[in-house]
Amino acid sequence: MAIPRIKVNHFHTFYYQYESTLLDALEVQEIPAPYNCRGGYCGCCKVRLIDGEVEYVRETLLDMDEGEILTCCCVPKTHIEIEISES
Amino acid sequence: MSYSTFNPSAHDATLEPMFFGRSVNVARYDKQKYPIFEKLIEKQLSFFWRPEEVDLSTDRKDFMNMPEHEQHIFLSNLKYQTLLDSVQGRSPNVAFLPIVSLPELETWFETWAFSETIHSRSYTHIIRNIITEPSEVFDQIVTNEEIVKRAAAVTRLYDELIELTSVFSVHGAGQHVIAGKTYDVSMRNLKKKLYLTMVSVNVLEAIRFYVSFACSFAFAERAIMEGNAKIIKLIARDEALHLTGTQHILNILASGADDPDFKEIALECKDEAIAIFAEAAQQEKEWSSYLFRDGSMIGLNAKILSDYVEYITNVRMRALGFEDMFPAAQNPLPWMNAWLSSDNVQVAPQESEISSYLVGQIDNQVDDSDFDDFDL
Repeated sequence: MAIPRIKVNHFHTFYYQYESTLLDALEVQEIPAPYNCRGGYCGCCKVRLIDGEVEYVRETLLDMDEGEILTCCCVPKTHIEIEISES
Repeated sequence: MSYSTFNPSAHDATLEPMFFGRSVNVARYDKQKYPIFEKLIEKQLSFFWRPEEVDLSTDRKDFMNMPEHEQHIFLSNLKYQTLLDSVQGRSPNVAFLPIVSLPELETWFETWAFSETIHSRSYTHIIRNIITEPSEVFDQIVTNEEIVKRAAAVTRLYDELIELTSVFSVHGAGQHVIAGKTYDVSMRNLKKKLYLTMVSVNVLEAIRFYVSFACSFAFAERAIMEGNAKIIKLIARDEALHLTGTQHILNILASGADDPDFKEIALECKDEAIAIFAEAAQQEKEWSSYLFRDGSMIGLNAKILSDYVEYITNVRMRALGFEDMFPAAQNPLPWMNAWLSSDNVQVAPQESEISSYLVGQIDNQVDDSDFDDFDL
């Protein structure tokens, strides 16, 4: 399987380096992704998944709307495009 | 409708609404209407910690070397948090247990309130360790005007709900005149009061605590009062979980899926709910000014802390589907994130308490394929 490519609005597109979560992957790229608990319960790291699929590596305690993902709990499964809200 | 500690009816609890249905009988968790509350309970239990695990001997020296205005900041925050957790250690039980109808939600309230009692115990632990005479601090909590002012806002709705449900429990629904005072104990008014109380609790967990958290972590960023910060980090981790709980309850209520009345009530009370957020944000900003009245501390002042209150208020309101109250802005205290995260610090276990060490997380399901990654 091809290495997943991660496209982020307002930031650059990069290849996933198999960090343990998508949030870690964003941080390695120095993209200021929001977060707090890193445990799937505060909801701060919620972003929109525009395209592609992610795989959850940790259970989340939040209900998510269609197209929303928690970056601290998942990794990309395919090429993905995500949108981080401005504030 | 009087409360029964064991309702002998054979009803299916998963068909009851969250509140004001039949009272819970069997505390069973094999089937749940809302599995999220069961997950919250398990998470909270896995977080279990005791304040005595954290050594505070260095904090005592740090505290004694602090300039007076910083001691004021530190102690004032501790007093305020002591008040908040005194309220939270009992109120979810007193207010919500008599009216809850789902076993998993009932236990979530109890588990939640219990963890708040651990927080209260840790304030005693901290104060006992840094001050020779703890009474000096505790006795001032009820006489400090700034704290009392906010205590009234924190407890008003809780007390009103408890009063109404007490009347409801004795006299049933309807209009009642008791000792010359008229009580509107209609189901509608009860539900309305419950919704607003839950908003107020959400605000307590979501905004009010965070001003104190910011100060504790700001001290530790300067490598002082680090034991205290370690305890506050554990408290913050619990509070984030409680916050998720109240957000879930509020969002389920507002969706109307649980009880259609609450959908209307959420719309009807929208302005009042927003006013609760506005009042808390305003009070917390005033509190920031009070904290820094004699001088700022490195890395933090009243202005930055007020900006943080605005930022966090927006974040919390968005989680409940409300519009931003303040202009959108970046997090003015980005370093807070590292402190609010539950597992980002890698330390040697013999050197430090690890907050990410989860109790009761053993998985016995080991399969041959689990070793596929291993090479000899």
